[in-house]
Amino acid sequence: MIRLQGVHKWFGALHVLRGVSLEVRKGEVVVLLGPSGSGKSTLLRCVNLLVHPDAGEVFVDGVRVNRREVRPEWVREQIGMVFQSFNLFSHLTALENVTVGLTKVKRVAREAARRKGVAMLERVGLAAKLDAYPAQLSGGQQQRVAIARALAMDPKAVLFDEPTSALDPEFIKEVLDVITELAREGMTMVVVTHEMGFARNVARRVLFMDEGQILEEGPPEEFFASPRHPRAQAFVSKILG
Amino acid sequence: MALVIPLGFGIGFLWAWARLSRYRALSWPVLVLTEFLRGVPPLVLVIFAATFGATLLRGVVDNPNQAALLVAAGALALHSAAYQAEILRAGFQSVPRGQLEAAQALGMTPGRTMAHVILPQALRLSLPPLGNEFATVIKDTALLGTVGATELFSMGQDFLGQSDVLGRVVWALAVWVIIAAVYFAITFAVTRGLRLVERRLQVPGLEGATS
Repeated sequence: MIRLQGVHKWFGALHVLRGVSLEVRKGEVVVLLGPSGSGKSTLLRCVNLLVHPDAGEVFVDGVRVNRREVRPEWVREQIGMVFQSFNLFSHLTALENVTVGLTKVKRVAREAARRKGVAMLERVGLAAKLDAYPAQLSGGQQQRVAIARALAMDPKAVLFDEPTSALDPEFIKEVLDVITELAREGMTMVVVTHEMGFARNVARRVLFMDEGQILEEGPPEEFFASPRHPRAQAFVSKILG
Repeated sequence: MALVIPLGFGIGFLWAWARLSRYRALSWPVLVLTEFLRGVPPLVLVIFAATFGATLLRGVVDNPNQAALLVAAGALALHSAAYQAEILRAGFQSVPRGQLEAAQALGMTPGRTMAHVILPQALRLSLPPLGNEFATVIKDTALLGTVGATELFSMGQDFLGQSDVLGRVVWALAVWVIIAAVYFAITFAVTRGLRLVERRLQVPGLEGATS
C-alpha cells in the first residue's frame, strides 16, 4: 500500500531523513516510535508529499508518486492525515470541516456530501455537534472531527501525527478509542505516537526511529520486551521506567 | 471612485498573495513596488500618471483628457493597492500554518486553499483596516480633480470661483459643508457595508473582545 525506498531529506544543512525504507501493507497498523527530533513527523509527511523527499522513492498503491508527472494533490486526496494540533478550519462548523474536502476537492454534490459528513461525525460519536464551531469544542472533540474529516475522503490509508499529544489527559481515551476502532475495521494506518499502551494493543508492527533512520522494527510485544538496538533499549527503558 | 476601490482591492489581493509566495521572483518585485508606492505622495502619482496618460493610451482612448484621467485613476488604484496588499498580508499571515497544512493534506490546490480556507478567515481580520483604507481612498479621489475629473471637490472650487467676493464668503461655508457631508455620506455607507460583511463573517467562539 505504502512503500518508501531510500528516502533522504535535508532541511538546509540538517540531514533529517537518512535513507529510510519502509513498507506498510493494506490493513496494517504501523506505529512509529522514537525520541523527538528523530524524523518521525517528516517521514510521515513524505508519504503524502507534504514534504518532498530530496532523494528516494515513494510508492502509494504501487504508483511512484514523488515525480514531476504526479500531482501531489492527487496523492493527498487518497491519504488522510490527522495532526497533533487538530488543525480544524476555525471558520467552518464541524460538519463543514468534514464536508469541505468532499465538495471542494472531490466535487461531491452538496446533499450527498452532507449525508456523508453526518455519517462520519456519527461514527466518531459527534452526531450532536454538527453545527458547533471548533472553538466551541473540547480538544478531544476537535480531534475526532479531524478524524472524521480524514475519513470522509475515503482514504486508502490514514497518517496520524501524534494525535493525542496536544490533548488534556481526560480526552486521550476517547480519541484513542476511535483510532483503535478504525484499526479493527481494517484501515491502513501509520501512527506516530508516544502512547505505549496503544502501540502495544493496536500496532501490528513497531518501527523505532532515531536520527533520521529506522533502527529497529518488529512486533510490539517483542520490541517492548527486548529491544535489540542500544538506543531502542535506552528509549524503552526511559518511557516504561 | 467606483473604479479605484475595486481595482485597488483586486490588485492589492494579488500582491498580498505574491508577497507570501515562496518564489522570490514573485515576492520581491511586489515588495519593491509596494515600498515605492507607499513612499510617494498620491498627488505626485496622479499628476505624473496624467501627464503620460494620453501617450500611454493613444489609440485605445481617443479623448486625451479622458485617457489622462483613466491613467491617473489607475495610479491612485495602484497606490491604494500597496496599502491594501499589506493589510491583506497581515490577514493571510494570521491563519495558522497548521490549517494550511490540513487543507493541503485534503488535496486542496493553492487556489482552493486561498478561496476556502485563507481568504474567509483573513477577511474577518482585515475588514476594519480595509474600511480605513477605503475611507482614505474615497477622499483621495479629490486629487483626480487636479487632472480634470469632475469630482466633488473641484466642482465646489469651480462654483466658488464664479461668484463675486461677497458671494464667496457667504457661499464658501455652505459649499464646503455640503461637500464634506457628501463625502461623509459615501464613506459612511461604504464602512457600514463593511460592518455588515464583518458580522456575517463572525465565527461563534471566536468573536474576540468586542462582543
